[in-house]
Amino acid sequence: MNKKLFRILSIVLLASMLLSACGNAGGGSVSDEQKVLRVWIQWGDNPQQIQTLFDKYTAETGIKVEVTAPIEQDKILPALTGSTPPDVLILSGGDLAKSFYKEGLVDELSGAIKTGNIDMADMFEAPLSQCRQGDLILCLPWGTDAYALFWNKDLFEAAGLDPEKPPSTMEELVEYADKLTVIAADGTIEQIGFIPNHSWSHTDLYVRNFGGFWYSDDGSALTVNSQPMIDAMTWQQQFFTKYGVDNIQSFSSGFGEYGSPDAPFYAGKVAMMVEGEWQVGPNFIPALKPELNYGVAAFPPPADHPERAGTIVNQGTAVVIPSGAKDKDASAKLLAWMMSPAIVAEEFCFNANLPTSRKAAEDPCFKELGPKFQVFVDLMSSPNAYAVLTTPISLELNDAMGTAEERILLTGTDPKTELDAIQAEFEPKFKEAMK
Amino acid sequence: MDDLNSTNRKLPFGIKLPAKVVWTKRTKSDLRTGLLFLSPWLIGFFAFTLYPMVVCFFFSFNNYKTKRAPARIGLQNYRDLLVDEKFWIALNNTMYMVIIAVPLGLFASFLCAILLNLKVRGQAFYRVVYFLPSIVPTVAGTILFLWLLNPQVGLVNTLLDRIGIDGPNWMADPNWSKPALILLGMWGMGGTIIIYLSGLQDVPQSLLEAAELDGANWFQRLWHITIPMVSPITLFNLITGMIGMFQYFAQAYVVGGGDNLGRPLDSTLFYSVYLYQNAFLFLKMGYASAMAWILFIIILIFTLLLLKVSDRFTYYAG
Repeated sequence: MNKKLFRILSIVLLASMLLSACGNAGGGSVSDEQKVLRVWIQWGDNPQQIQTLFDKYTAETGIKVEVTAPIEQDKILPALTGSTPPDVLILSGGDLAKSFYKEGLVDELSGAIKTGNIDMADMFEAPLSQCRQGDLILCLPWGTDAYALFWNKDLFEAAGLDPEKPPSTMEELVEYADKLTVIAADGTIEQIGFIPNHSWSHTDLYVRNFGGFWYSDDGSALTVNSQPMIDAMTWQQQFFTKYGVDNIQSFSSGFGEYGSPDAPFYAGKVAMMVEGEWQVGPNFIPALKPELNYGVAAFPPPADHPERAGTIVNQGTAVVIPSGAKDKDASAKLLAWMMSPAIVAEEFCFNANLPTSRKAAEDPCFKELGPKFQVFVDLMSSPNAYAVLTTPISLELNDAMGTAEERILLTGTDPKTELDAIQAEFEPKFKEAMK
Repeated sequence: MDDLNSTNRKLPFGIKLPAKVVWTKRTKSDLRTGLLFLSPWLIGFFAFTLYPMVVCFFFSFNNYKTKRAPARIGLQNYRDLLVDEKFWIALNNTMYMVIIAVPLGLFASFLCAILLNLKVRGQAFYRVVYFLPSIVPTVAGTILFLWLLNPQVGLVNTLLDRIGIDGPNWMADPNWSKPALILLGMWGMGGTIIIYLSGLQDVPQSLLEAAELDGANWFQRLWHITIPMVSPITLFNLITGMIGMFQYFAQAYVVGGGDNLGRPLDSTLFYSVYLYQNAFLFLKMGYASAMAWILFIIILIFTLLLLKVSDRFTYYAG
């Protein structure tokens, strides 16, 4: 090949590679021709349904919205630090919002709330509290989850218990669990009354019932080794001590998959469980085990604190605006549209999750989800409604607490010793993060 | 490259460099052409390997999270790692896999390769059967194994039960979770078997026949001829296996289900898993960078050590 031509071709090739690499890979959030807003959703079982919802925004405003869901966390981080982050990002919880704000990756939302004229009084305080950091609002809760006690009425009847009367205190729950647990002649478990960490940890709910949390209520102090935390862990530990760790683990390992007709509560292997509102929605029990005879009620408080009845702990989606979003006004307006009661009701009725808007909660569609779902909706207005408080160190702290909880429940270590160690390790990190 | 002087200087590990390069016009032109042909790899290497490594090294001396400018903290990340209990747990778990899973995998692969090298009916079929698991995607294979090892309904414990053995709780038991992952790894050793198989076919028949005529039995032929003849392949498999095991991640990530990484009781918290947690979940990029460099140094030391020691047990024919 001609040497000169070869050189020219090489330079052209390199230049085009560089230009394409430096170009706007995302296709641009905003163009003069037609605005395109990009919405990323960390959680998202049904991307098509969410896209259809956002198409309504396009129909109303002419602004196209591209939805990407679900999106992995390790893809979110490079996008937020890069030049083309999404215009609106919907996270699975408030914990990441705090970490991202600390790093300057997402905006504080007071300005967006003002621009979008978002009615903050319409929002339930509990889910909103997971987005607060002092006076700052770092995210807005879109939908939320809450947990309550589910009990199998047939198994109650078989154990000689009143099937219409769930335990009214945590102590009574322990008694009921004993009556509902069936041990075979060889010592193995055939049916269990209650597993405190069934499906995943519910320490947040138990510790609230014991009157505390692992942060102080205003989120300004770390209280991992506080008495309510020790009580919550000790209360859970008794089930493993009593029935045997190996026994419970061996029994649990044969459970059918979550969200299948063989799931242990559906199959009558577990008589009581702590679960979320989606279970009573059309995609879970009514679809997978319609004949299941069960009840739902708020998780009971300790006997000496009846005033804590109706305790729930909200945790759910948190919407943030990336600090690198190109058109903040457009993001704010889309956020306001998402937070409008009609849209909240439509999205969360469809998915059978709880709305964060009071007006949305009155939408008849939630009543159509049945009286069991209404138990959860009513609990949203409970004076004992809380949220999982979050801070910039939440993810690291939760991981450490998860390991400690495993040690306490599975190896029988002393709750206070474990929690003291976490408090000592994370106290400096917490102070540093909250500066 | 005719102009390159053929007198070579000896470097470690058999690398040879020309003693003297005469820079004629032709040599320069050849070099340019060579570099141009190499440029796709070179650009990729500099942009996506060398540059990130250098930046990672820089970050390891900084308190760097994501967007805010890194703050220089000297050796603090390294000092913190030394007293980080989880770092040692992760390193310990990883070493367990390197020391137990890698040799075990090599031994099993070699054994399978010997069997698959036997001239029996259906040889091709058996080779396909043994290779198939290694083309199953890691995630699918891991999930399949989780079901096979399910203590109550899994095939493994059902079979163990038939012969009167009470099977363990596998992934739910911290004492059995790593052995379960080793079993999973051995299931997918098709790649290593194929490499061994090609090595076995290169063992000169004349040597084996001569030994047989001299009265050597099967084991003696294996021990004195086959194993030394495939020793370079063993070294290759050992080094690549060891490097892969130090970076063990995907299976542990699937087993942990994302939210439960390291469970039960940190028994599946491997080095790369903890590094991932620090970088992408806890946003401690500087800390994770220090971890990455420590891992790089550990792998480098182990590789050099193996190469050094390999002189004693590796036989290069010719």
